[in-house]
Amino acid sequence: MTQDDECLPGPIEKLESNGTILQVENISKAFPMNDGSSFLALKNFSLTIHDIKHKPQIVSLLGPSGAGKTTALRIIAALDKPSSGCVTITNGVAHQMRPVRVGDVGVVFQRYPLFEDLNVLKNLTEPAVRAGMDGKAALEKALRYLDEFDLVKQGVAWPVQLSGGQRQRVAILQQLMRERHFIILDEPFSGLDPVNINNVINLISQVANQHTLNTFLIITHDVTSALIISDHVYLLGRDRDEKGAPIPGARVMKEYDLVAEGLAYRPDIEDIPRFAEIRKEIKMVEFPKL
Amino acid sequence: MAERAQATTQDDGVNPLGEAVRVYGSVGVFTRSNLALIWLALFLTIWFLNPIKALPLPQEVLRAIAKLWRNSQPGQGLAYNVYVTLKLNVVGVGYASIISIIVAYLSVIPVFQPFNKMVQWLRYIPIVGFNLVFLSLFSIGWPMKVAMLTTGMSFFLVTSMSGVVACIPRMKYELAKVLGYNDWHVFYSVVVRPTLPQMIDMIAQNAAIGWVMITAIETYNRTEGGIGSQIYAYSATNNLAEVYGYLLIIGVIAVLEDLFFSLMKRLLFPYSLIAERA
Repeated sequence: MTQDDECLPGPIEKLESNGTILQVENISKAFPMNDGSSFLALKNFSLTIHDIKHKPQIVSLLGPSGAGKTTALRIIAALDKPSSGCVTITNGVAHQMRPVRVGDVGVVFQRYPLFEDLNVLKNLTEPAVRAGMDGKAALEKALRYLDEFDLVKQGVAWPVQLSGGQRQRVAILQQLMRERHFIILDEPFSGLDPVNINNVINLISQVANQHTLNTFLIITHDVTSALIISDHVYLLGRDRDEKGAPIPGARVMKEYDLVAEGLAYRPDIEDIPRFAEIRKEIKMVEFPKL
Repeated sequence: MAERAQATTQDDGVNPLGEAVRVYGSVGVFTRSNLALIWLALFLTIWFLNPIKALPLPQEVLRAIAKLWRNSQPGQGLAYNVYVTLKLNVVGVGYASIISIIVAYLSVIPVFQPFNKMVQWLRYIPIVGFNLVFLSLFSIGWPMKVAMLTTGMSFFLVTSMSGVVACIPRMKYELAKVLGYNDWHVFYSVVVRPTLPQMIDMIAQNAAIGWVMITAIETYNRTEGGIGSQIYAYSATNNLAEVYGYLLIIGVIAVLEDLFFSLMKRLLFPYSLIAERA
């Protein structure tokens, strides 16, 4: 990492962008139904993630259950093809974008699947070696990660022997082992108590801060956690007809730029009145409309 | 410490007999062993009382086994016939396992899927119906017996093993894809490597089908002897004690085979046992 790339501590005054990292343009996705009709999950879904100078990017895609968040995740990760529209990702050179391919974007799935027949250490080294990293370098990197994330004792454990929190950490580190910076986390706060939510927030921040190019897209319905951790929050939802019924096809309904609000990268964010206002607005006004 | 003491007291208070009749009751090794002994005693009691008069008594069967063991006529001794059948079983199960595992794994490649389905459907066809086909392809005796057993077992093994492959969670495949694995890496890391312990289970289960087939196949190919031919010969002369003697020996071999497969799984894939317990 050069001096210019160094991750600076504390909040930043304004967003200094180095360009676009990922662009989702007018994605629509329809699924065939059993009765021969089709169900429109996404319609004109667009979002852009910029490279923020001196900071990693943590963006949340926030929406209620059934809003189409998982469909969006799968399309961004190139696991599914959209019915129309495209997702482009930077190829590392400024302003050069290309269509996303499976493997470009890491995904930490909701139940943290790992290779159950490999111990924790091999779960980390195998993907790196498969990606072309030298075996010795992969081992050194994996051991460093295990040390940094308090998993040294679990190195020789089988995935089935890990607790939920340990499994989540290994799943994130597994994605980081490949030299990739863009990772999607699917519902990382789901089913956790407040203490563990705090631990996951700290973990994501710790991992993200390892490199200014690290970009985490968090798919969640947890408003508070999303606001605490993110620099940008996108609300995913559906328009309503005159009777108030949702119209099929979710899209980004609203964007919160927490850098511009002065809320991003603030450890004391929960004490800031504006944080409470935005949280209330999303929970009480925006969410019921989605 | 106090909590542990309390837990111990609670454990001690568990009634093993009560637990033994509960759904998912928790019983220790001692109780489990006793339960096995009780069932064995029950089985032996029923056999000794012999309510089904067609069954020879245990002492008659044991005497018949001793007589067979002492029989030194060529091709008649117990050891020789068990050896012939066991060799056929090992070779047949070995070939069938290799062929079936390849056919099952290839079912993840669309071009091979129709072939896989056709092989599965063939399990409904009795293998002895193809006697003439085998006779024209293989010389009578050992080659024909191996071919029949291998083919017959493969129809069942492919079905079971393909079931294991079909149950691989899609998320595992997607995990490998997002980690950038190519098709061969996915095939090895998601399809082959993690399912090997379950394939051993499938071989162990289908080895039983092998014994059923062996007796039929050896009845049709009696030139070299073997348990099947002996059962046929003793049945024809109404020597039931000898017939049940051989059946008892098949039972003992089956238990040993099960133990062998279990040991193999424990040694080669220790994580699978930890996962089963979890």
